[in-house]
Amino acid sequence: MKVLVVEDSPSMRSYVTNIIETEDVEIVEAENGFEALKTLPHHKFDAILTDINMPDINGLELVSFLKNHPVYKTIPIMVISTESTEEDRNRAAALGVEEYLVKPFEAKELVTKLRKLLG
Amino acid sequence: MNDDFTGEAEELLDALSRDLVDFEAQGANVRPELINKIFRDTHSLKGLAAMVGQREISELAHALEDMLDRLRMGKIVIGKPLIDLLYDGIDGLNRLVAGTSADVATLTSRIANIASTETRQGSALDELILEEQTRKSLTEYEEHRLIENVRAGKQIYSVEQRFEFTDFDKKLRALTAKLTESGEVISTLPSADPGGGIGFRLLYGTALDEAKVAAIAPQAKITALRKQEAEISLKSASATVRVDIAKLDVVMHTIGELLIEKNQIEALARSLDGRQRNALATVARNLDRKLNELQKTAIELRMVPVGQIYTKISRNVRKLARELDKDIELVLRGEETELDKMLVEEISDPLMHIIRNALDHGIESQEQRKAAGKDPKGRVTVVAYQQGNSVVIDVSDDGRGIDPEAIRDAAMQRGLTAADPFELLFAPGFSTAAEVSEISGRGVGLDVVKKNIQELKGSIDVISTIGEGTTFRIMLPITLAIIQALIVRASGQQFAIPLTSVEESLRIQAREIVTVEAREVLALRDLTLPLVRLADAFSLGNHDEAPDKKLFVVVTRSGEKLAGIVVDAIIRQHEIVIKSIGERLKGTPGIAGATEVGKGDIVLVIDVTSLIEAFGGRAREVRASAHV
Repeated sequence: MKVLVVEDSPSMRSYVTNIIETEDVEIVEAENGFEALKTLPHHKFDAILTDINMPDINGLELVSFLKNHPVYKTIPIMVISTESTEEDRNRAAALGVEEYLVKPFEAKELVTKLRKLLG
Repeated sequence: MNDDFTGEAEELLDALSRDLVDFEAQGANVRPELINKIFRDTHSLKGLAAMVGQREISELAHALEDMLDRLRMGKIVIGKPLIDLLYDGIDGLNRLVAGTSADVATLTSRIANIASTETRQGSALDELILEEQTRKSLTEYEEHRLIENVRAGKQIYSVEQRFEFTDFDKKLRALTAKLTESGEVISTLPSADPGGGIGFRLLYGTALDEAKVAAIAPQAKITALRKQEAEISLKSASATVRVDIAKLDVVMHTIGELLIEKNQIEALARSLDGRQRNALATVARNLDRKLNELQKTAIELRMVPVGQIYTKISRNVRKLARELDKDIELVLRGEETELDKMLVEEISDPLMHIIRNALDHGIESQEQRKAAGKDPKGRVTVVAYQQGNSVVIDVSDDGRGIDPEAIRDAAMQRGLTAADPFELLFAPGFSTAAEVSEISGRGVGLDVVKKNIQELKGSIDVISTIGEGTTFRIMLPITLAIIQALIVRASGQQFAIPLTSVEESLRIQAREIVTVEAREVLALRDLTLPLVRLADAFSLGNHDEAPDKKLFVVVTRSGEKLAGIVVDAIIRQHEIVIKSIGERLKGTPGIAGATEVGKGDIVLVIDVTSLIEAFGGRAREVRASAHV
């Protein structure tokens, strides 16, 4: 299982990767949307975890790209964000995001949602 | 049920019902205070119901309150579905308060629906043509920024561009930085469309017009997203109206006729004596002043910025560069330079022809440029600026330049000669390109371009340095409608010389004219000015003249070339309206048309460019061969 983690905050990125490392998954990190776009063709991901508020392109734009892409549209996505407004949750859901996790969160929550994502 | 509660709830619901009727009547332009009152009453009802444990009432009122909160923040569009839902909601509350049942679950889910599906802040965003995918990808903050830009009267553009996959991040960041200097990049959406590299669509809010955005992002596809921009700008700047250009033509024409009438009054005044003459002259002067004001305003009405054609140019250049596989940077400057609307339209095709030539023949291939130690990216610059009564448009490229020797050789093979080899570029059927390319073709050459520009009373020149590039300089009069002219006399005939072509006038003696290499010239400061005698050009007789005979030389400029027109007298300066001349004189070199001066006198208007070309620097000995 291979998971892409897109998160611009290094501490949040390592928090997330430290948690999901226990789940026996290979992790690829991207520190922004551009890096994510660049790394996508080189891997076959089983899940993508992304933040929303990032420079250059935001998480929703990345999700919109992925969910409209002929190849990537089947990859399940979890949005991990401080955007706790119903508004942004609705938007992510409307774009076809499978899971939504609000920061701050417990390790257990992340693991549960990741397992659901990976089926 | 508690009677106190019922009484107060009924009061609130009565007020709500009344306010709702007003709301419906006011429609989309509902006063914010009214919505706020409806919101407050609903809020009170919710609190009241919660206090007395009326769960269903408080639940429904709470849902309505949330929706009304969004409504007063402008996040929900006002429309029939919303008003119907408010009526149904109040009706439901009435039923519950009266002790009958209501389907609270259905109502709350309808409320939840309308809050999430209806266009958020629709009123502002409805002014945009926004693709569903783009809209859905906006975060709440981005949407807020988009709305703020729309409300601030900014135009919103979609700026789409594809990049190489290897360095798209660098290029896109550079583009974003450039755009940010004069606006706000609101959103950056990667495109999932298949194709080489990766495409992005930026939403860009700015006060710049499309041409300026195109100048910043010359390789991008730019689309204005605001609907009916003209109508919006009409609303925001209500001091403007749109006028049919044909009506302006009528105004200009009528002013032209009035100017002729005024000229006749002046002529009449001159034929009178004493007091009557003075009185009429005063009237004529006043009339002249008013007519000048009117004429000036009418000319301004016809003026539009040259930038109107820049959008088309940048679009075409992008397309051409792709077809030619050349990397071209297009620089457009002076878009605010104003020119007669008709001229702007007429110059568009000739201008595009020259730009096409610059891309196709001027700019070398990327390999050739690298080999010559140049930036592989070629640059084409279009600059417009005003110079006196003319507008100059320079089209420059940093390409290979034009080799005068190559032109001469090519011309020799076609049996053409000229003192200035660059002149040959404009000769019919002339081309130096070894092969005819798809882009420039062979059908229309620079001869047609020149002819078009001359028809607009303009001129075209070439300035070129081998290896460094070429500039085509187009000069146009600001307007064609009414022009100032110098009325001159030669061999008893009057002519009008457009003032746009006149640099200065000199008074000389016949002996100052010298013949150099069988051409008549005049030493003017450090210049040798080639001369044309109007009397000779139009075969008006062959006078022998005494060396001390007084003559006048009108120094004219046609593009970069100066020449002197020799006349017997300069009569006065005059506004003239150029009228077309009959078939017999049409196409005669040196004649632009005819005009009426004073008491119905018809004089010929000189076309300086073609006059100098046809008769410039001709020696006196051969003057008799020129016929009208």
